[in-house]
Amino acid sequence: MTRLPAQPGEVIDRSRPVDFTWNGQAMSGFAGDTVASALVAGGVRVVSRSMKYRRPRGYISNDYWDPNGLVQVGDEPNVRSAHRLIEPGMAVEAQNVWPSLERDLRAVTGLASRFLTAGFYYKTFMRPAWLWPTYEKVLATFSPGGRIDPDTPHRYHDKRYAHPDVVVAGGGPTGMAAALAAAGAGARVLLVEHCHRLGGHLLWGDEHDRALAAELAAAVETAGVEVLVDSTVAGRYEDNWTGIVQRSHPVAVERLVKARAKVLIVAPGLIERPYVFDGNDKPGVMLSGAVRRFVNMYAVRPGSAAVLFTANPDGDAAAIDLERAGAEVTVVDARRGEGIVRALGGSKGVEGVVLADGRRLDCDLLVTAAGWTAPTSLLNMSGDRPVYDEAAARFFPSVSIGNVLATGGLAGDGTLDELIEHAMATGRLAAARARAVSHRLQAATARAVPVNGEEPEWPVDERPDLARDPHPALFRSTTHGVVDFSEDVSSKDMVGAAAEGYDSVELLKRYTTATMGPSQGKLETVNTVAVLAEARGQTIAEVGTTVWRPPYAPVTMGALGGRLFEPVRVSSIHPWHEANGAVFMLAGQWIRPDHYGDPAGEALNTRQNVGIMDVTPLGKLDLRGPDVPQLLSHLYTNKWMKLAVGSVRYGIMCGEDGVILDDGVTGRIGDQHYMMTTTSSGAATVWEWAENWLQTEHPDWRVHVTPVTSGYTSINVAGPKSRTLVRRLVGDVDLDPEAFRYMQVRTATVAGIRDCFMWRIGFTGELSFELHVPAGHGLTVWEALLEAGEDLGIRPFGVECQRIMRLEKGHFIVGQDTDGLTKLPAVGMPHLLKLDKPDFAGKPELTWALDDTSTPVLVAIQPTDPSVVPDEASQIVRPGTDEIIGRITSSRMSPTLERSVCLGQVLPEVSRPGSELTVVMIDGRRITARVMEHHAHIDPEGERVRG
Amino acid sequence: MKQRPPRYSAARLVSRAARKRVWPRVWREAPLRNSYDVVVIGGGVHGLATAYYLAANHGITNVAVLEKSYLGSGGSGRNTAILRSNYLTPEGVIFYDRSLDLYRTMAIDLNMNVMFSRRGHITLAHSDASLRTMHWRAEVNKLQGVDSSVIGPADIKKLAPVLDTSSHPRYPILGALYHPPGGIIRHDAVVWGYARGADTLGVEMHQKTEVVDIKVTGGDGPGGKGPGGRVTGVRTNRGDISAPVVVNCTAGWASLISDMAGVKLPISTRPLQAAVTEPVKVFLPVVVVSGTLHVYVSQTARGELVFGASVDPYNTYNIRGSLEFTEGTAGHLLELMPGISRMRLLRQWAGLCDMTPDYSPVMGFTPVEGFLCDVGWGTYGFKAGPVSGEQMAEAIATQRTPDLIGPFSLSRFERDALVGEKGAAAVGH
Repeated sequence: MTRLPAQPGEVIDRSRPVDFTWNGQAMSGFAGDTVASALVAGGVRVVSRSMKYRRPRGYISNDYWDPNGLVQVGDEPNVRSAHRLIEPGMAVEAQNVWPSLERDLRAVTGLASRFLTAGFYYKTFMRPAWLWPTYEKVLATFSPGGRIDPDTPHRYHDKRYAHPDVVVAGGGPTGMAAALAAAGAGARVLLVEHCHRLGGHLLWGDEHDRALAAELAAAVETAGVEVLVDSTVAGRYEDNWTGIVQRSHPVAVERLVKARAKVLIVAPGLIERPYVFDGNDKPGVMLSGAVRRFVNMYAVRPGSAAVLFTANPDGDAAAIDLERAGAEVTVVDARRGEGIVRALGGSKGVEGVVLADGRRLDCDLLVTAAGWTAPTSLLNMSGDRPVYDEAAARFFPSVSIGNVLATGGLAGDGTLDELIEHAMATGRLAAARARAVSHRLQAATARAVPVNGEEPEWPVDERPDLARDPHPALFRSTTHGVVDFSEDVSSKDMVGAAAEGYDSVELLKRYTTATMGPSQGKLETVNTVAVLAEARGQTIAEVGTTVWRPPYAPVTMGALGGRLFEPVRVSSIHPWHEANGAVFMLAGQWIRPDHYGDPAGEALNTRQNVGIMDVTPLGKLDLRGPDVPQLLSHLYTNKWMKLAVGSVRYGIMCGEDGVILDDGVTGRIGDQHYMMTTTSSGAATVWEWAENWLQTEHPDWRVHVTPVTSGYTSINVAGPKSRTLVRRLVGDVDLDPEAFRYMQVRTATVAGIRDCFMWRIGFTGELSFELHVPAGHGLTVWEALLEAGEDLGIRPFGVECQRIMRLEKGHFIVGQDTDGLTKLPAVGMPHLLKLDKPDFAGKPELTWALDDTSTPVLVAIQPTDPSVVPDEASQIVRPGTDEIIGRITSSRMSPTLERSVCLGQVLPEVSRPGSELTVVMIDGRRITARVMEHHAHIDPEGERVRG
Repeated sequence: MKQRPPRYSAARLVSRAARKRVWPRVWREAPLRNSYDVVVIGGGVHGLATAYYLAANHGITNVAVLEKSYLGSGGSGRNTAILRSNYLTPEGVIFYDRSLDLYRTMAIDLNMNVMFSRRGHITLAHSDASLRTMHWRAEVNKLQGVDSSVIGPADIKKLAPVLDTSSHPRYPILGALYHPPGGIIRHDAVVWGYARGADTLGVEMHQKTEVVDIKVTGGDGPGGKGPGGRVTGVRTNRGDISAPVVVNCTAGWASLISDMAGVKLPISTRPLQAAVTEPVKVFLPVVVVSGTLHVYVSQTARGELVFGASVDPYNTYNIRGSLEFTEGTAGHLLELMPGISRMRLLRQWAGLCDMTPDYSPVMGFTPVEGFLCDVGWGTYGFKAGPVSGEQMAEAIATQRTPDLIGPFSLSRFERDALVGEKGAAAVGH
């Protein structure tokens, strides 16, 4: 409809038509069209509705930042339609309109706009209070944006680490020139361009511009510069860590490229600033750059009768472009003191304009070229605070940052030649500084190969300063208009808010939400500051600007999340468990059998015959070196200096606050070789804990700590017949009770597998052997045990059975029966606390804790009614009150005793054996229970384990 | 006698607009005087609430709140605005529940719509161990009269359909602690509401007024500061102020401010990061927290997802965001709700958290007479703002420590009587 004949610089491929839909209606464009250009070519003028007043909106800046151009594409919300290219079959819809884009019934708010000034909601909807939830729901219907489908999967996103010397943000003329110069000086360069092709503003310029763009792009291609188009340097973080979002990747939906740039060159160009006047958000009011892109790149004429308000050569060029495209153009020149005050027109868009001199002109396109905003985001993120230059009417960087260099429009103005010269100098400087940084990095890194040469001198910035072209300070006309298009905030709103005391730029931003919408203030920030300055009678420089925070452009959660690498771990016996009816549970990263269908039966069988359990997740640390006893003495609260070879000891570790951190056994396998086990969930923590002491406090201790949890498959063989069973598979160890006693360790050959070790311990309370088998042979040994134990009544058992049995035996579990405040004295094991040791982790706190009589202690508890099992976490209260004096930490029905058994924490005053307790069940019932004499409900003397 | 400002209401909104009358300043600007009865350092929720309740509950109105930047520029404007009272210890539950009460009636009490959305709060359990902790919290909560219970995956899916409750391999959603009275609020409006309320009662708010020293005499330390001394006033970038009572309501710099009085605090300062996405139509009607995945998320009335994680694992005063935070948190959120993959992160930021060893605050009197602290609020200060202000005001007015804040006294570190909120508070937003 408004598609022009072929334009010399067009980027569309007329030989490849592309069909798509707009709000369900068939549309057509060409390959290379953006959604915006295809829509406007098809005669579409209104593409969205404003957030609050539901005013119809058309394209204003026609680029990625266009606040009016957000659309829904399939299941993807908030797609930048002036950036996204059309694809065959694409379903594009207007967002957040009800019932339709043409007739949005919520536009009634527009009628009340006089009352609905910014922040009006803080002043109303308060009474009656019970109605607030309803108000809330109504307000929520005004929330802007598209919609997500909760069932959309997270598709394939990827990440990559890049290692360039120089990252150049911006692929316009200066970005390309800087990249070329840096590459020419020997740097590895990554050039990142936000749009779909290199060229920047040259792409919509005249033939000289386009020729230069082509020349530079060709040079970049042959210079060995890596180029990422349709990609954005989204953030610059500490030490030039840059996050780059690559939107068009052949395989991944998006890819996050992370690079530690030795030097970052920031060359994003300038963003055209809207002009604030009455009606400035009517469809058909556009920025000069928007018009030039439509006409020159996409051969689309956005209007036929144009009024063009210009203050700069870019606006003048837009007039020429429009005339060439066959539009009538009336120029209103700000430099001659002319001005515009009001756009006229209804819901279909602009129909005319009132000039400052009172004249009224008809038009269907109102173009403004009122000045520029410097997108200094990446410099802000590097610590720069831009300063306003009154003569040039825009902000400039104020700080010199060694490894972040600005060029192009951020740095100043000039002819293209001057700008390119500055950019080349920037590229050379960047390459030289990258070399210096590289040298420093090498020198700071411990390396076997010495660094060659002296540190080069830090290259001095000798770039010529770019001039700053004077520009009229045009922000707001004599009428009020929209300042923030995303948030529907007018200059009137801002003036009112400032008068109410929200008169610093941060308060104003928070109160009116200006600059906080999807365009992140790219178009609005300077106007916001200017309006506030005017309202306060201050200069723009005095008001200052807001802090631009990362990201530079919004980044999808998918790109940030990437592929979700969340490993799960299974033991080598896992396939057997799967094939034999195991019901699994998740324990940290481990998937392990909870039971095999009958945990109580598994427990009874283990007490009577023999059972085997896969305990591979048990944390295992191989400790070697002459100073292992020192380390053990420091980590555990008991004594370790005299542990004999072949012996095993139980220990508890506490943090420096005296709180129990972990527990487990450690055995001495050889003279300078120990094996430590930790709880399954504590394996990583204990390793870090040990390394922390070794690396920071005792680097002199000669100890190697190697985590070997997955290196061994661990099998617990428990039950009165366990010795008989183990004897059938182990020939090289004397298993006689006197020769291999409780709490001893032996290396052994088990079922023909050498280099196993086994120890006699007893978490279940039964005679038991814990076998640690080189992981590759775990399944072999497991199956050999099952086969050899068939006549002994062998059955596998799972975590649930183990929990039952350990509770019957009164063994606590760190983190379940203890909590973040439980110190060692609370668990009733005074023999494990050896305060006469020179030092150990937690010693001072534990010394004090001994005197503490106010914190809960661990006790065994049995409900009066043996059939009642209070849920874990049931609270224990003072009788007749709700005052909490303890809680049940573990509870189970004991198949052995045929009664409920518990562990719990209670205040010392009720911890004596025989004390009666009131337990509040989860359903609210209150039951009585009794504190037991021993933690162990079964075999308190430990005869079974020692058997 | 200062004139009372007009009240906010729909009727006045219409009538003033019709008569084109501009609303008066939300709080007035007064010249800084050289003497006040009470000086509050820090113009965030805690400082403003303290000042407001001093005036409202105790008639102490000769009060100045000093803020080095703009009101609400610190943690009050940087948090994720989640409110709840389903804590782990009875002390914690009672304390935060009082805060929730004050938040519930705040819109009417302060005549400012702070938009408290009591939408419900769920804390997910991905393992039987965390499910056990949820039960523990629920039982403690119930005994304190707080609405809190453990719900299963089917109920969770009803509350938040976007959550992946399938038998996920790594982080299955086994259950959740459901706390219906929890929700989110417009945090800036809370700041402005207290400031406006305090202003109405005669309290002065001074922005861009930085305390550079605290004047103490008679103390054991250098310059007469420290234990045994008494406070006489503060020195600011705008001149000296004498005051018999000085309250430290700062965050991020609490230990440095207390150092000025010679009071040492067991505080280390760490950044806490947060981020917000672009808006989409509302799909998440409850607050969702996962302690295991270190993430909490809610969707504002404007449709943005606001989320955060646990504090960064290092001490610094740097408040720049990191890429690792956004990567890690996005990944964790996608584990829970893959459907948000195409939403875009719009902005990230950081604030400073003053961490104490037991994840509980330091409140009340200090060894320097007249110098009080309401600090060490870690990552949970915003939700405690109202009750802290109320209790601090009571402490100042009555010269004794109210029961509610007794457990949080500075002296607990000498008595080794730490508070057991670490588990529930660490990532317990």
